[in-house]
Amino acid sequence: MSLEERRIDTVFQPPPAAAQEHAPARRRRALATTATAIVVALALAAPLFTSGYLLQLATDILTSIALAYSWNLISGYTGYLSFGQVAFFGIGAYATAVLVVHTPIPWYVAIVLAALLAGILATALGTVMLRLRGIMFALGMLGLARILGVLAQNIPFIGGAVGLTLPAQLTPIPVYLAMAAATLVGFGLNLFFSRSQWGLAAMGVRDDEGAAAALGVPTVRVKVVSFVLSALVPAAVGGIVAWNRSFLDPPSAFDPTLDLQVVVFTLFGGIGTLWGPALGGLILMLVGEELWAYVPDLQLALYGLLVIAVVLTFPGGIVGVANRFGWLRRRPILAPAAFPAVERPAASSRAASGSDAVLEVRDLTVRFGGVVALDRISLTVRRGETVSIIGANGAGKTTLFNAITGFVPPTEGAVLFEGAALAPVSAFERARSGIARTFQIPRLMDSMTVWENVLLAAGNGRRAAHAVDQAAWALATVGLEAMWLEPAESLTPGRQRRLELARALALDPTLILLDEVMAGMTRDEQEEIRAVLRRLKEFGIAAVAGVEHVIAAIADLSDRMIVLDQGRKIAEGPPEAVLRDPAVIQSYLGELQ
Amino acid sequence: MSVAAPALDTASSLALSLDNVVAGIGPLTILQDVSLTVDRGGVTVLLGANGAGKTTLLRTVAGLIAPRSGGISLFGEPIAGRAAHLVARAGIGHVPSGRELFPRMSVAEHLELGGRLCGAARRAELRDSVLALFPELGTRLRQQAGTLSGGEQMMVAIGRALMTDPRLLLIDEPSTGLAPKVVLSIFRTLPQLQRQGMSVLLAEQSLRSGFSVANRAYILRDGRIVLSGTPAELGADPSVVKAYLGG
Amino acid sequence: MLLLQLLVNGILLGGMYLLLAQGLNLVFGVMGVVNLAHGAIITLAGLFTFWFATTTHQNPLLLLPVVFVVMLGVGVVLQRVLLEPVVGAGRRAELLSLMVTFGLSYVLVESGLNLFGSQYVSLPDLQTTWTIGGLAVNEALVASGLLGAAISGALQIWLRRTASGKALLATSQNQIGALSCGIDVRRMRAFAFAIGAALAAASGVLLILVIPLAAPTADTLTILAFVIVALGGLGDYQGAALAALLLGLVQSFVGYYLGGDAEYVVPYLLLIIFMILRPQGLGKAGRPIWSDKR
Repeated sequence: MSLEERRIDTVFQPPPAAAQEHAPARRRRALATTATAIVVALALAAPLFTSGYLLQLATDILTSIALAYSWNLISGYTGYLSFGQVAFFGIGAYATAVLVVHTPIPWYVAIVLAALLAGILATALGTVMLRLRGIMFALGMLGLARILGVLAQNIPFIGGAVGLTLPAQLTPIPVYLAMAAATLVGFGLNLFFSRSQWGLAAMGVRDDEGAAAALGVPTVRVKVVSFVLSALVPAAVGGIVAWNRSFLDPPSAFDPTLDLQVVVFTLFGGIGTLWGPALGGLILMLVGEELWAYVPDLQLALYGLLVIAVVLTFPGGIVGVANRFGWLRRRPILAPAAFPAVERPAASSRAASGSDAVLEVRDLTVRFGGVVALDRISLTVRRGETVSIIGANGAGKTTLFNAITGFVPPTEGAVLFEGAALAPVSAFERARSGIARTFQIPRLMDSMTVWENVLLAAGNGRRAAHAVDQAAWALATVGLEAMWLEPAESLTPGRQRRLELARALALDPTLILLDEVMAGMTRDEQEEIRAVLRRLKEFGIAAVAGVEHVIAAIADLSDRMIVLDQGRKIAEGPPEAVLRDPAVIQSYLGELQ
Repeated sequence: MSVAAPALDTASSLALSLDNVVAGIGPLTILQDVSLTVDRGGVTVLLGANGAGKTTLLRTVAGLIAPRSGGISLFGEPIAGRAAHLVARAGIGHVPSGRELFPRMSVAEHLELGGRLCGAARRAELRDSVLALFPELGTRLRQQAGTLSGGEQMMVAIGRALMTDPRLLLIDEPSTGLAPKVVLSIFRTLPQLQRQGMSVLLAEQSLRSGFSVANRAYILRDGRIVLSGTPAELGADPSVVKAYLGG
Repeated sequence: MLLLQLLVNGILLGGMYLLLAQGLNLVFGVMGVVNLAHGAIITLAGLFTFWFATTTHQNPLLLLPVVFVVMLGVGVVLQRVLLEPVVGAGRRAELLSLMVTFGLSYVLVESGLNLFGSQYVSLPDLQTTWTIGGLAVNEALVASGLLGAAISGALQIWLRRTASGKALLATSQNQIGALSCGIDVRRMRAFAFAIGAALAAASGVLLILVIPLAAPTADTLTILAFVIVALGGLGDYQGAALAALLLGLVQSFVGYYLGGDAEYVVPYLLLIIFMILRPQGLGKAGRPIWSDKR
């Protein structure tokens, strides 16, 4: 819960509802595609009717746009603010320069090789750096350019502090075309992110990394790949720029103010959007061209002020503002023209293990510092069973869930799923192996629609068509198909709960752990959830463990009931028997007397 | 030695009065048209299952959430929409669910911080009362709050709130995560406070604990008051369990 | 003797580094915000001190209290105008506040460039060297190191032993709890940022006495401060002291044996080593800088 009620306009807007296909929208889209194609064609043909100064300006504009697009991948879509663009720019510049000077490799090949080199370095760097929290990652990257500059100064082979002289080939047209190609690649990557499951996964990481992991998203892999992809184009751009110049030295290759430019352009245009970087780059470069003639010594300050102004007034950038008028809105990812017809997908793709016991918890103990949250808990859940776990607040239910899903490591004891110990597996792998969960407080992705939230879970390891089917089925099962394109955060609490349930179903789980799924639901909504829970057995979902304060809502659905108190199990058995157990009543159920 | 501040306002017999309060967070409306009262020197208990809106209600009274409409009066003084720290200064002590202690500060420092708005003399008085109420804290004054047990943390939270010299105490789910014995001992302090003139609004999930101390009870469900009355009335009403558990 | 020399230098350097980092720790603890303009404030204060010393020929240390107080006021204004509006952005607040301070840093750097030029400057006058028992000790370094440590100590005492300091500390540990005690959390936020900025400025005044500063490289100081805070464990003041000491010692030795450029790289390398070996930092109370969502 926030202390501050005031909200500034938010970034990363979800697409609005009802944006889907009627004829006008389809026509609008065709128009947009044609317009884009024309613009691209014009851009590529530009050298034919411009030259000299204008061509150089166009090249510079494309440079900025290309860099902005690549920054958008890691900082916009994936949400990890990175000040590393200039580092890869410099690496690309130097790699290209070295190859061109010392080998007979033609420059365009050198540029590609430089990009590959940057990709390799980014993989190594990313694997180490992306373990840091967002702020720390940003700060870590801040220093990188400086370090590389210092290193470059001390390596005589690449010219040291003196720099490298290049065989300057003043070929503006190939340079322009190369930059245009780089920009197209950057745009293409953004397009990929904005339309694909991969991009959805990245956005999931951005919105709520922990929840994304619980939905089977391989968060580390997503972050690293996004980071690597964001390094390729800057390196290529650096190479092209190096080729275009006659001289390369550390300060010009690793100029930190380049990062400022990239941030300003993307932020101004619209961070995390498909068109933001292009718009921002284009507009600001053109404005800059005029402006810097008058105030040459204020460029950095003005850029800085612009960043501040945008963040405080319209952090969604120009695209964000346009969105309010219905333009340039993001398309929901992989959303078909109409909600798909749903049939139950073929029997669960999971091979059932021979054993009847889906979940086995043996003497599980969890300690946090001096506090014992769980004390030698043992329980077994069999295939198709519905087991409910009850207990007062703080009895250990959520800790138990966290231990089973990998959020919390057991201090002692073991958790066995389908007969195999889970211990060192990370959260997303557990999710993918068939354990799904809902959270006590729904953790929905607030920059996505209902559909996309479910698709995120459905998408793991599945190809698009399959994922779409799975997502549709999950949504239909919980009864939310009517609002499939609503922004997730606009849902009522009851519907948000159901959405969480849909996400859990979309994982095609063997086991669903429901954490207070009834809490806060109206009577009607409880009925709908109960209907879903009853069907879980039909769906081949092997077992469900529910945790409930609203005990009556779940008592008759449970095969067995387990009572926790102060981290210990104090009762187990059929609900009617357990609810009459005096020990249970004493510890928790006073109100049912 | 009394903990409750001398009553300044003779005009109102109500310590707290909510009139048609509507409140929520972001786009969600959680409290719908809630009206309730706490008698001067009385204990009102607010009951309801998880998610019913009890914590939201208490937070709204405490000033952490601004109500969208409706009025809140403290001893006749309107306080709706006042900032949380000003509400605290106006005389409302808040014991939040989750305690919200300062993990790396000692018990003594918690009490000191609670009493920061008082003069030294009054602060010493209050401190003595708190330690009389919770003798266990006396042996742990230097211990860091993060290392205390659940029950002790609860005592620190209540003690800190009492140190603000409140006229009205808001207690949010004191029984959460505590052993029944500890819960009992906490609840036993309420009548003591009452005797000293303190008014209390208590949010609880457990019907039994709630009924035992209150002179007025409200049952909250989905953000609305669905039943109200004295514990005797409600205890005799069969629809109470239904209203409460919704099932 | 050389060893002792480097040791002493390292310790004094550590004192200075500590002051550099304190402000960042405080702001981060209370607000969860990292001020990317931290280095720019340090540099501007240092450059201003240089200008003052060379123009008025007065003792630059006179500026210390002045700069501190002025920066307190400026810091409050900056926080109210730039950062407070971002607080309500919920999940995006971290990202947005990073960008705001990023923008601010460049505004400050450009101002520095325009006012003081882009060249490195330093104050040679105070670079006199005392010889104590065979050790050559730089007067400026002694002054800065000791003052740095003293101010840091004073900060700790204020935080832990005074009512207002404890209120700030409480706010950094739990805002809801602080509000329930009648603490104006909004004011605390402004206060924390202001103190952080004032400390940065103070360290700038001391820093210019010892090392050359220049506007374009202001961000290296932000990085340095961040490394110390990260090594010490976020929010842990004792840890930061240890980290500052470690860094000072390492820099002292590395600077002598490997030269000036290596000094640039050292903090970074240390950070990477620690990230791998001991992510929770040197201190006991700190939190690790690992991603808390894996």
